[in-house]
Amino acid sequence: MRITRKAVGTAAATASVALVLSACGGGGGTAEPGSGEELDTEAQATISMAWWGDDTRAALYEEAIDLFEEANPNITVQTQFQSWDDYWAARATEAAGGALPDVIQMDLSYLRQYGGTGQLLDLNEQIDVNLDTGGFDEALLEAGSIEGAQYGIPTSTNTLALFYNADLLDELGIEPPAEGYTWDDYDAWLKEASKAGAGKDPVIYGSADYSGTFWFFLQWLIQQGVEPFTADGQLGFDESHMTEWLERAQPLRDEGVLYPIAKTKQIEPLGGFTVSEAASEASWDNFLAGYVAETEQNIQMMPMPSGDGGPQQFWKPSMLLSASSKTEQPAAAAALIDFLVNDPEVGRIFGTSKGVPAIAAQRDAMDVEPGSIDEQVVAYEESVADAVTEPAPVPVEGFGAVEAEYKRLSEELQYGNIDVEQFVSDWFAFASSNVG
Amino acid sequence: MSALDSNEIELDTARGTDVPSPARGRRRKNASLVRDTGAGYAFLSPWLLGFLLLTAFPMLASLYLAFTDYDLFRPPQWVGWENFQALFADRRFLTSARVTAVYVLVGTPIKLAAALAVAMLLNMKHRGQGGYRSVFYAPSLIGASVSVAIVWKAMFIDDGIVDRIQQFFGMEPGGWVGDPDRTMPMMILLAVWTFGAPMVIFLAGLKQVPAELYEAASVDGAGPVRKFLRITLPMLSPVLFFNLLLETINAFQVFSSAFIISGGTGGPADSTLFYTLYLYVKGFTQFDMGYASAMAWVLVVVVGLITAVLFRTSKGWVHYSGDSR
Repeated sequence: MRITRKAVGTAAATASVALVLSACGGGGGTAEPGSGEELDTEAQATISMAWWGDDTRAALYEEAIDLFEEANPNITVQTQFQSWDDYWAARATEAAGGALPDVIQMDLSYLRQYGGTGQLLDLNEQIDVNLDTGGFDEALLEAGSIEGAQYGIPTSTNTLALFYNADLLDELGIEPPAEGYTWDDYDAWLKEASKAGAGKDPVIYGSADYSGTFWFFLQWLIQQGVEPFTADGQLGFDESHMTEWLERAQPLRDEGVLYPIAKTKQIEPLGGFTVSEAASEASWDNFLAGYVAETEQNIQMMPMPSGDGGPQQFWKPSMLLSASSKTEQPAAAAALIDFLVNDPEVGRIFGTSKGVPAIAAQRDAMDVEPGSIDEQVVAYEESVADAVTEPAPVPVEGFGAVEAEYKRLSEELQYGNIDVEQFVSDWFAFASSNVG
Repeated sequence: MSALDSNEIELDTARGTDVPSPARGRRRKNASLVRDTGAGYAFLSPWLLGFLLLTAFPMLASLYLAFTDYDLFRPPQWVGWENFQALFADRRFLTSARVTAVYVLVGTPIKLAAALAVAMLLNMKHRGQGGYRSVFYAPSLIGASVSVAIVWKAMFIDDGIVDRIQQFFGMEPGGWVGDPDRTMPMMILLAVWTFGAPMVIFLAGLKQVPAELYEAASVDGAGPVRKFLRITLPMLSPVLFFNLLLETINAFQVFSSAFIISGGTGGPADSTLFYTLYLYVKGFTQFDMGYASAMAWVLVVVVGLITAVLFRTSKGWVHYSGDSR
């Protein structure tokens, strides 16, 4: 069975026009397009690369990089990887010392931090020299640029999804939320699920506290017609929005519908959903592989809860590849990025584990077997394509820090140490000194 | 126990009681002295270089950074005392100071008491005593390591061994890791369990207490409690003082176990947000290195002050053998 992924691409193109508008603008010290030197295939070069992820991803990267070294026998790639938190601590230290690896895996939430402060190479100089971006949807490519400088090349896209454990729902004797469900419907459904699961051993809960994830707040803001971040990198929402969002989950917290924080803290990095003690969880769609591997159960996906205008989802570059501005081998670094985003074989190796590949040739090369995880993710993105109507919010500088602070305050809220009012005033106080 | 001996000399020096060494008035030896000095510095140089480059320079740099706004990415901006002023308006900073203070004030005495108790047991004449000493020291060899923190976490989570024991005795079920009220006892237990280093030092101190004192006390009809209070503790007081200083300073710097158990966040609900952990969070996850440097210097000053106070009070309770008091 072959799935056409046209719908996905088209939706991405139309959806991200507004992204172009918000990401563009301004000029400044950008590199002359195509001004880089062509890769010398005779000279020996050693470059370094770092990514975040687990052992599984590391094995995939090693396989892909072996292929690259085979194709470019004069280039040696030294690799390293860390978990998400350690990764950014290590990169920050290296950035301070001007010693970032030549090629680094980049996330949208840190692009401004690194790109805006001169740590990253403007890859415009390499485009059409050592780096082919011809296969990219233009709007998606723009997501990796700040004020005209191409600091990152998106490897793949993802969007939010609601995951539910179909085996667990069977056991509880309830149906998944109905199509077109709203946030209120979802809350009611969570209560139903936790009521059915209360007598089980172990007790089954509806989900973890969804209000504690910053990205879901952003998704909800968009559904309220609020642009989360302004074009000049400031917050587009105020205290009242955050209060309303947090208050809506307060009855769920009070009634014990949500997976207890004390349990979550003990099993981190797993969660209630991954240990099959919560019926649902919202997350990025490329998390499916991880969920299936952990739970070994039938995990299904559906769109996020709707606002008045439907789910109004957005595509996000799930990750990008960047080069250090201090690299001594810009040509080799660009060649590696080019290989990783364009080579069909690399697409087959990674599948949808980093999101759905940005380049058609990589999507086509995936082993999309019926019933496979890749097929499920691709099918989901196709089914949800019509609901993807919004541009991805462009994270402000300091996004990583305010996102972490949001998560921390949510834990305090779930423990009952602070109330919503305190949460909101603390978060905005923190944001005022960390954003921008 | 050469380390201990040299330490006693240091302590003596600090009290100003050591005898000045006779002046070396032998000018003829000057040439060889110069040569010796040169050789001395040559042998010292690996350590000296390491000290200058890896300790002294970073410390000076952090002193400068403490007065700047530095996000690791842009050049530091001088802001004067702003970071230090911000500290005392920061609720999390105060939380971290409180968490650390509780850990030091409660954990250190318990750890020292445990170390002394075990050292006294191991000081008895007993078959296979050497084996016991090794066994009791073992936790300290691995105590600061990542693996023990992970094991500790596994013991104290829901349905871990501690939870099961609690349930067996009919106590309320539930792991400690996720309960902000019980994470501190858990961290203190971990610290107490690694009592090996102070224990070994206590043991060496106990061995130096002259047996005649106990014999004489026995003749006078003193019981074990009185012997402990009137002979062991006073004779051991220099060692006790040394251990107290070292363990207090160590306790202020606790980091790795809390980092592992809380996943680097100081959670749950900031209950394990030790001072050094918050410093790390500020510097490396919130990119506020100026603030983190200011925190580091506040810690240096506070530990320095506490050390000074301990030295001051020690005059009242530390007895050095040979002292006439």
